[in-house]
Amino acid sequence: MVDAVAAFVAWLGASVVVLADGRRGLALGAAISAAGMAVLALDVAGPVAAGSIALGGVVAATGRLRSGRAGWHVMPAGSTPRLVLCIAAALFALWIAAALTTGPGVSLRFTAMVVIGLSGARVLGADEAPALFSATGLLALAIALAAGTGQPPAAPWPFLAAAIIAGGVSWITPRIVRAA
Amino acid sequence: MQPEAVELVVLAAAALAFAVVFSPAAASRRELLGKGGAGVLGAAAIAAVPTFDLALLVLLALGVLHSVIGGKRSLAIRLRGPLVAVALLGLGAFFARVQGPDAMERFAAVGLVAGLAAGVGVLPYLHPIDPDEPLVSSPVAWLAVVGPVLAAVVVQRAQSLLLVDAAGAFGAMLIGLGLINVAWGSAGAWLTESEAAAWRYSFVADWGLVLCGMGLIVADGQRAAIVMLFSIVLGRLPLYLLSRTAVRDKSVSGRPVSLVVAAALAGSAPFAGFAARLLLLRAATQLFWPLAIVLAAGMLMWLPGSLRLGRSLGLPKGRQAVGIALVLAVNVAAGLYPLPLLLAAHL
Repeated sequence: MVDAVAAFVAWLGASVVVLADGRRGLALGAAISAAGMAVLALDVAGPVAAGSIALGGVVAATGRLRSGRAGWHVMPAGSTPRLVLCIAAALFALWIAAALTTGPGVSLRFTAMVVIGLSGARVLGADEAPALFSATGLLALAIALAAGTGQPPAAPWPFLAAAIIAGGVSWITPRIVRAA
Repeated sequence: MQPEAVELVVLAAAALAFAVVFSPAAASRRELLGKGGAGVLGAAAIAAVPTFDLALLVLLALGVLHSVIGGKRSLAIRLRGPLVAVALLGLGAFFARVQGPDAMERFAAVGLVAGLAAGVGVLPYLHPIDPDEPLVSSPVAWLAVVGPVLAAVVVQRAQSLLLVDAAGAFGAMLIGLGLINVAWGSAGAWLTESEAAAWRYSFVADWGLVLCGMGLIVADGQRAAIVMLFSIVLGRLPLYLLSRTAVRDKSVSGRPVSLVVAAALAGSAPFAGFAARLLLLRAATQLFWPLAIVLAAGMLMWLPGSLRLGRSLGLPKGRQAVGIALVLAVNVAAGLYPLPLLLAAHL
């Protein structure tokens, strides 16, 4: 039951990142999604991995609050396709995780698939650095979480690396350099 | 680390050293050494990390770093290719690991092939190019430095992740994608208006042969791929670098050296590209002979584009002339005696 709630929370956070354009919305989405993934990581890779994901999410959310469009800007005008995408992605991932694939860890499979998918979709659809980097951070965390679907217990290294990337990328301020 | 990846990292480092020595401007040299060195180190890290997930995370970090070092294309355009690659490769690895019907394995193969294409920057995910962009921040860095190592790692990991049926589908998709890239790249190098775009398309066409070689499961196919990658990293990339000034100045030349360069770019004897093509045709003949006919027809399409690119080098002088002579000599040596290349890759 806890895993199912954590998976829902992770999807909700990733959906907020897809639906938000403001810095507060993006930070909230990153924090919520990382919290859900941290709970799932506790099961598959232990407390170090879970702590890494949680810390990476906190640093990413804090860094996101520094720059970007002020305010929340969750579901601005014209974001209906994004909302449809979030719901459709969840249904599709749930179908694959629960009906097509077998074995334990339905919540883990659902979360890994839906967060990777939504992050990738956000990268394809966004033009502004804050949204791109928020999606990048989530993608890194989800890639590490997907490592937990393997047969042997997952090592904490991918989680640590993903946390460093997720935390670091949110503090980057891109600069434009003109060619010489 | 797998030997092929080690060899490709060494080749990328050699290409970087060449670029630093033969780059036309001092400022550009410093930039090449710093940022290009970081790229080569990143490629080495992709090959060195013990698990595929860590390799994906290194690729992600490298993509972010490459997108923020500047350039004329927008951040979103620079970031999309590597990030989409990581997402697709991640999904591919995920589908390969989960238990379920055979279709999951096929999905895994699709994800790995599509992710590889997006990471390298070949069809169906060509990275947009700006002719005025510095080399280190242009998509050519992915095509010629990071891409070869990434391809070696993905193909090697796919062999361990996928079961036999899906591995066959993976190889077939690589061959199909390779043929599309051969046709599209060679036609693009011939017909596109911009010289910079023509160079990019020529990389894509070469990559088509690499993908075909990687998809052919016989040993000669793998050998062809490694020799072709050598031809990209230490043949086409240095020549592209040396052509940039002439391309910017729009100066063309019809001197004999242009023909020699065109021959090297077209993969004619005795250059490395010829050995690669020969190995590829032999591999295709072993597996399914009609494929060899299709490949041979595709290889003829290199000629018009290569003649055009040979002329785009302008009239080589001084450092540029020495660089071209060195590249041609190295490619002749590798074409006449590719055995050390193959032995280093344990092929």
